[in-house]
Amino acid sequence: MLDKRVRVRDIRPLGGHNYLLTLDSPEQARRTQPGHFVMIKCSDDVQENPLLRRPFSVFDIKRTPRSGRITGLDILVKDVGIGTRRLVELQRGDQIHSLGPQGQPFRLQDDWRGRLDFACLVAGGVGIAALYLLAHALISKQITPVLFYGGKTAADLVLRDYFEQLGIETHYTSENGSIGEKGLVTLPLSRFLKQHPRSNLRLFSCGPWGMMKATHELAIRQGVDCEVSLEARMGCSLGACMGCVIRAWDQNNEEQYLRVCLEGPVMNSRTVDWNTPPL
Amino acid sequence: MSVTIAGVEFKNPVLTASGTFAYGIEFAHLMDLNSIGGIVVKGISMRPIKGNPPPRIYETASGMLNAIGWQNIGAVEFTTKKLPALRKFQTRVVVNVVGFTLRDYLEVTRFLNDCRGIAALELNISCPNVKHGGFHFNQKPKDTFDVTAKTKKASPRIPLWVKLSPNVTDIRDFARACEDAGADALSVVNTFVGMAIDTVRRRPRLKYVTGGLSGPAIKPVALRMVWETCQVVKIPVIGIGGIANTDDALEFLLAGARAIQVGTANFYNPSASQQIADGLERYCRSHEIPDINQLVGSLRV
Repeated sequence: MLDKRVRVRDIRPLGGHNYLLTLDSPEQARRTQPGHFVMIKCSDDVQENPLLRRPFSVFDIKRTPRSGRITGLDILVKDVGIGTRRLVELQRGDQIHSLGPQGQPFRLQDDWRGRLDFACLVAGGVGIAALYLLAHALISKQITPVLFYGGKTAADLVLRDYFEQLGIETHYTSENGSIGEKGLVTLPLSRFLKQHPRSNLRLFSCGPWGMMKATHELAIRQGVDCEVSLEARMGCSLGACMGCVIRAWDQNNEEQYLRVCLEGPVMNSRTVDWNTPPL
Repeated sequence: MSVTIAGVEFKNPVLTASGTFAYGIEFAHLMDLNSIGGIVVKGISMRPIKGNPPPRIYETASGMLNAIGWQNIGAVEFTTKKLPALRKFQTRVVVNVVGFTLRDYLEVTRFLNDCRGIAALELNISCPNVKHGGFHFNQKPKDTFDVTAKTKKASPRIPLWVKLSPNVTDIRDFARACEDAGADALSVVNTFVGMAIDTVRRRPRLKYVTGGLSGPAIKPVALRMVWETCQVVKIPVIGIGGIANTDDALEFLLAGARAIQVGTANFYNPSASQQIADGLERYCRSHEIPDINQLVGSLRV
């Protein structure tokens, strides 16, 4: 994990209060695995308000077009409060601070090749940010990702083109029907699972708590594993403040509090107590 | 740059505050632990504590609320797994001790008193985020006196600091009670009880409803309490409360603090304590102050 002062290379509005920020940080980008996050101080002066840094999944690794040299990373920022407002108002060339990459990444095992038929990627809104590098990694292991992506409206389903360019199967849903199927993302997911009762599947999910909970329940019914990338308010991301915990179960089914920053953000959905939302 | 507290020398007056720096080693890759005077580790109880349900933290203007509830790994795991690694660094280790009852405090204090590599114990009777114990001992000066006197007896080898609560009518009464009971030093202050409400859901932002406010928001009040405390006790006072930069640290030293602790700033600026230690050295050099102790309590009123 590195604490770096980094330059904003680009900031691209994606509609619906969403922005893609490109940060020049080759050393952090080189260390990034699918599921990792960076902790961003929203200003150059570390003492400025808001004080606490904000965690963001690394959406993509940036490379130079010709040589393929790693130059930085992309984060997806939705303007929802004072911290994210500061970020989306940054200009090209501005400096901020980035701590990371960090957290438990998605667990990709070498012996999945040829044994896993599908990897279902289940995203809600900005939760998509955790799944793009994962889709890449799965394809390189010759595992077929299938994307299930939902939001309130079409504007919430950002960065679809990235996944479509991978040539993977996609299922979109929106609550108002403005894109894809009208309803929740679990609709096409449960249909897909019913159509593939005997397939070797694995679910990977990131999005609102209720959506991940529903995804977890479908995984249990299907008898397959589900990994979730969790969100929590974080104080430090270093395991020090103990602020970002979720309620979970240990091997003896005893209650425990796990830090989303250190023991997560990616966890097996079976360890999480889905009746205690952390926000 | 060194300061002495209860016969123990610290290479400089900058320490990290309990609960904001984990067990120290978690920060070793982000700063030079050898650059600071000491590390006050996360509050330790005899047995592990699970802590409060989430949400546990919420950011407020220039500060944050927390209601962690003493989640920690327990004294045995701390002394076998964390302390040996921490001992390798050239910095002092102070252990914050927590408990729900007097018996808890005495048990963990006796246990730690037999351990090597601990420079001082910091008795935490001021945490606002547990329902029993802790805070209870910081409500009446008489109770503070009793718990301090008994814990001091349980720690004959290692100096005992007492960390005081700001959530009292007059902190000077509690400071005097600690001094009379034989405390070797005072840490002033712990967090201020506060709360925040989600107006859409009409629910408290913290599951525990209330939490401890920390960060730059509390600095002026904490500074005033340190100054008041220094007027009435002879034992060393360690200043805590919203210290985020060198100037903040200097204010506490001028008000009379022998040393200071950096807390919430560690969260958003992991090397804040090192930066402050370097900054104090620069200040002394540029102001031709040969001994930092000359600054302590040199406020001109």
